[in-house]
Amino acid sequence: MGMSFLLRRLSYGLLLMLGVVVLNFFLIRLAPGDPAVVIAGDMGGATEEILESIREEYGLNKPVLTQLWIYISGVAQGDLGDSFFFNQPVAKLIGERISPTILLVITAQLLSIMLGVVLGVLAARKPNGVMSAFVSVFSTIGYAVPVFWTGIMLIILFASTFPVFPVEGMQSIKLRNAGFFTQALDIAHHLVLPAFTLAIIYLAQYARLSRASMLEVLSSDYIRTARAKGASEGTVLFKHALRNAALPILTVAGLQFGNLISGALLVETVFNWPGMGRLAFDSILRRDYPTIMGVLFFASMMVVVANLITDISYRWADPRLRGRT
Amino acid sequence: MTALLDIKDLRVTFNTRYGEVTALDSVALHVNAGETLGIVGESGCGKSITALAAMGLIPMPPGRIAGGSIQLEGEELTTASEARLRKLRGREIAMIFQEPMTSLNPVFTVGQQIAEAIRLHQNVSATQAFRDAVALLDRVGIPSAAERARDYPHQLSGGMRQRVMIAMAVSCRPKVLIADEPTTALDVTVQAQIFDLLNEIQRDFGVAIILITHDMGAVSEMADRVAVMYAGRVVEQSTADNVLDMPQHPYARGLIDCIPALGKGETELKEIPGVVPPLHLLGAGCAFADRCTLKNARCETEKPLLLNHGHHLAACHAVEEGRR
Repeated sequence: MGMSFLLRRLSYGLLLMLGVVVLNFFLIRLAPGDPAVVIAGDMGGATEEILESIREEYGLNKPVLTQLWIYISGVAQGDLGDSFFFNQPVAKLIGERISPTILLVITAQLLSIMLGVVLGVLAARKPNGVMSAFVSVFSTIGYAVPVFWTGIMLIILFASTFPVFPVEGMQSIKLRNAGFFTQALDIAHHLVLPAFTLAIIYLAQYARLSRASMLEVLSSDYIRTARAKGASEGTVLFKHALRNAALPILTVAGLQFGNLISGALLVETVFNWPGMGRLAFDSILRRDYPTIMGVLFFASMMVVVANLITDISYRWADPRLRGRT
Repeated sequence: MTALLDIKDLRVTFNTRYGEVTALDSVALHVNAGETLGIVGESGCGKSITALAAMGLIPMPPGRIAGGSIQLEGEELTTASEARLRKLRGREIAMIFQEPMTSLNPVFTVGQQIAEAIRLHQNVSATQAFRDAVALLDRVGIPSAAERARDYPHQLSGGMRQRVMIAMAVSCRPKVLIADEPTTALDVTVQAQIFDLLNEIQRDFGVAIILITHDMGAVSEMADRVAVMYAGRVVEQSTADNVLDMPQHPYARGLIDCIPALGKGETELKEIPGVVPPLHLLGAGCAFADRCTLKNARCETEKPLLLNHGHHLAACHAVEEGRR
């Protein structure tokens, strides 16, 4: 893998982020609602003078392009501005909440890819078998059911009827001062239900996709060659076929990452997970422009990084793509 | 002398939307150690199915071996376990395919793919297997073999890829090598090189070759004996010289007549009128009857058996009755 490829992709990523920042800035200002009114409302009503002084304080009365310039030059220096509501730096607010979100999103992503691919491969082995039928039914249901409903059902089943997993939050209060290992286990225990809830939609999709992709690959000439060598069925499936069937799965995994983050917002709300989702949700209601833009900035950055990783793993999976930029 | 690979009375059927279709019927073939058997015939006549049956690679379902036997050095293959077949495949009986462009896995280097074949059947280290793979690539005439071994299939030409396939097939010194139209997808000049290579390999490794082809030129160059197949049956079998010089079965005669001769001022290509009937529409009589100039009432109602007529085995009522 050439350095020039990495540099080129990184600079595309930076350009993309600049575009995202500008677009977010205007989109939010196009939405109805005046932050000054909301802030003043929280303070117990407002006259026109108070509104004007609030606008003055937060720089909302400057020309829009000037506001944009102030914002972009701040972002370039790592300053995402201060929250209208919390009166704290946005970077700090997000910094406190981003780790739980990343943990949730990445766990869900790995869960859905690994389980989905295994289900898909097993289904492709016998296209008319029971497993294949199960994958078809399961993926239709998994794809159709909204994530908040799945979450609530899982809570009823595994936290109420069979109380094996905690209902909400990320840590038990009484274990806050326990050793690292105990705390990690406690977090993992709390993670099970939200991660599965978030994973189910995508798991269904990966199962379907890898079934189709594997079926196509399994009918190709080089699979016949592998069998003619005397390779076992396991080697044929997991070594010769899966590596070739991985490309479409990688493509979708990269594209889905953005959806996964927006799905995380809902799941965090249902399970009271202390991530960025809740912050985003509340900030939108409060017209807290800097916080919304900060959350969007980090979410976009995660998507850009995910796509970069996808591009790199493409080249690992398919040698025909190496040497292209 | 018992034959190395002996196929007797083989019957293979496939479940299709037309019901159960017989793809191979009463196929009898054998190949002796170190010799080359050519199998010729049009597309769909059962050449490749015969080869896949010998490899134990017929997809089941929809395929099914409905009768007969395939013996490799006296060992019955039609009833052998999958585990046993896996041991034989690649080690005792190997195969190269028609499409070198798609027969190699695009995500592994050619060296890795040959080394894998070696390690599946021999107890050697990965490094040793790779070294052996390089030696094999050198043996099949690939220049700078050590570097080419690290190439991926897409970096090699069609001819080179077929050489890789041959190296992989002979990596465990099999007794039988099945070559299923190994040159169809290649340029004419490359075709000749591949045939030369197969001849060399046969001389050095003492491997018996089953060459499946519709190229009569290849047959005359390579084969010791020839079997002609039509609609799932063997219709003629003899030495290559006999089949090429004095074919008996009307279909074999037609095939030989179709070879264009250079310098005879021929302006039109000859052909056998009609087409191979679809397998699900085969009736009680000879499958070639509709296209045959020598047919009589018996040909329409009774399948001819493969009988010995002096130097030839032929399945034809006309040959049997001396009609010309």
